Amino acid sequence: MSETITETETATESTTDSAQTTSGESQERLREEWTHYRFDGPPKLSVEDLNVWYGDDHALKDVSMDIPEKSVTALIGPSGCGKSTFLRCLNRMNDRINIANIEGSVELDGSEIYDPNTNLVELRKRVGMVFQAPNPFPKSIRDNISYGPRKHGDIETGLLARLLGRDDKDEEQEIVERSLKQAALWEEVSDRLDDNALGLSGGQQQRLCIARCLAVDPEVILMDEPASALDPIATSKIEDLIEELAEDYTVVVVTHNMQQAARISDQTAVFLTGGELVEYDDTDKIFENPESQRVEDYITGKFG
Amino acid sequence: MAEDRVESLRADVIAFGRVVEGRFRQALTAVDTFDPELADEIIDGDAEINQRYLALEGECIDCFALGQPVAGDLRLVTAAFKILTDLERIADLATNLAALAETLVGDDTGETFAAVPLVEIGEFAAAMLDDALHAFAEGDAELCKGVASRDDRLNERCAAASATIIRQLVEYSGEADSPIAAAPAAAREVLVLVRDLERVGDHAVNVAARTYYMFEFDDALLY
Repeated sequence: MSETITETETATESTTDSAQTTSGESQERLREEWTHYRFDGPPKLSVEDLNVWYGDDHALKDVSMDIPEKSVTALIGPSGCGKSTFLRCLNRMNDRINIANIEGSVELDGSEIYDPNTNLVELRKRVGMVFQAPNPFPKSIRDNISYGPRKHGDIETGLLARLLGRDDKDEEQEIVERSLKQAALWEEVSDRLDDNALGLSGGQQQRLCIARCLAVDPEVILMDEPASALDPIATSKIEDLIEELAEDYTVVVVTHNMQQAARISDQTAVFLTGGELVEYDDTDKIFENPESQRVEDYITGKFG
Repeated sequence: MAEDRVESLRADVIAFGRVVEGRFRQALTAVDTFDPELADEIIDGDAEINQRYLALEGECIDCFALGQPVAGDLRLVTAAFKILTDLERIADLATNLAALAETLVGDDTGETFAAVPLVEIGEFAAAMLDDALHAFAEGDAELCKGVASRDDRLNERCAAASATIIRQLVEYSGEADSPIAAAPAAAREVLVLVRDLERVGDHAVNVAARTYYMFEFDDALLY
C-alpha cells in the first residue's frame, strides 16, 4: 500500500514538472504522437476515447490505441494506473462491476463490442482471458478443458448425449489434446487427464488455464499478470508459450515485470498514474529510447 | 540503488578516460624530451590500466545482469562498455609511444625526424580525446560532432608526416653518413608511431560516436 502511495505521489510530481516545461497544448499534442502507434494492416482491436469511472474515480482517461493482430501487446505501468481496467474493457469484464461507468468505443475486427446487441457469451469466446492466479475448476484436467466447448455447445458428451444419439467423445479428446499441446502441457499430463486439476503445480495450473482459454478457439487472449504468481522456471515456460501463441492469436498482456514486457512483447503501452496512456510504440523503442521523460523515469525506476 | 550504480559507472569511465589521456600526453612528453625514465613509468603503468579496464568492464556486466538497465541507463552502460575498449587501446598506444621514445634515445636518431611534427600531431589527437571525454561527461552532442569532423584533418597530417619520412629515406639513402640511412629501423618505428597517432584519433572518434548515440539515440557518427 505504501508503495502505491509513493508511486502516486512521485508520478504526480513528475506530471507537474513536465507541465512546467511544456505548455498544456503542446504536451497534449506530443502525447497523441507518442500514443499513436502505426502498423500495417487493420487493427484487431481498436480503442477510441475510452473513459472509465469507478464511482467518482476517473480510472481511464481518453485512451485511444489500435492493437495489431497476431502479436503480443504489453500494458505496463504503476499500480492503479488503469492497465488492468483497460484490459478488462476489451472483453467487457468491467460490465460486471456495478459502479463502473464506461464511455468510448472498442471495436473488434471493426465491430463495436459495446453495442447493446453484442452477444457477451460470443464476445468472451472470441476474447478469452487468463488471470493472475491460476484458477482451474475443481474438476479433472479433461473436464477443465472441455467445460468451455460443452457450454458453448461445440461438443456433447455423457449419458444424455448418448441417449439423444450424439456423443462427441472423439471430438472432446481432440480438443483436449490440441489445447493442452498448444499450452505446452500435454507431455506432462497426457497420462493423467482424469486426475483433479488442483493436484497440478502452480505453473501447470496456469498453463491449464491457458489451455482452457484456447479450447473455445478464441481470437484474442487477454492476460492479467499471468506469471506473477509463478517461479522463474514456470514463468519462463509461460513466456515461451505467449510468444508461440502470438503466431495464431492476438495476445494482450498486463505485467508489472518490465523485463517480462521487454522479453515477450512486440509493442508496449505505458500507462501512468491517473489512467493516462502516455506512450505506445514498438517495445524496443520504449525500452531503448522512450519519447516521454515520464516514461523514461518510470521504466528506469526514477521518479520526478 | 540501480541508479547509483549507473551514475557511479559514468563517473568511473570519465576518471579512467582522464587517466588514459594523461598517460598518452606523458608518452608524448617522453618522445619529445627523449626521457627513458618517464617512458619506463608509462610502460610499467600499463598493467594497472589493464586491471582497471577489466574491473570497469566487470562493472558494466554487473549493471546489465543486476540492474537490467533500460532507456537512458541502457544506452549509458552500452556506450560505456564500448568506450572502455577504446580507452584501453589508447593506453596501449601510449605504451607503444613510450617504447619508441626509448628506441629513439638508444639509436640517437630522434632528431633526424625533427621535420616531422610528431608531438604536435599527438597533441591534436589528445585534444580530440579530451573533447570526446568532455562530451561524455557533459552530454554535449555538438562536441561529439566536432571530434568526428576533426578526424580527416588528423589523417591528413599523419599522411603528410609519413610522406616526409619516406621522402627523407629516399633522398638520403645514398648518403652513407646520413643518420637516417644509418638507422632505417628507427625510420620504420617512426612510421608506425605516426600510424598509432592516427589510431588514437580513430579511438577518440569512437568515444565521441558512442557518446553521441548515448545522448541522441543516433548512430550517425559510428561509421
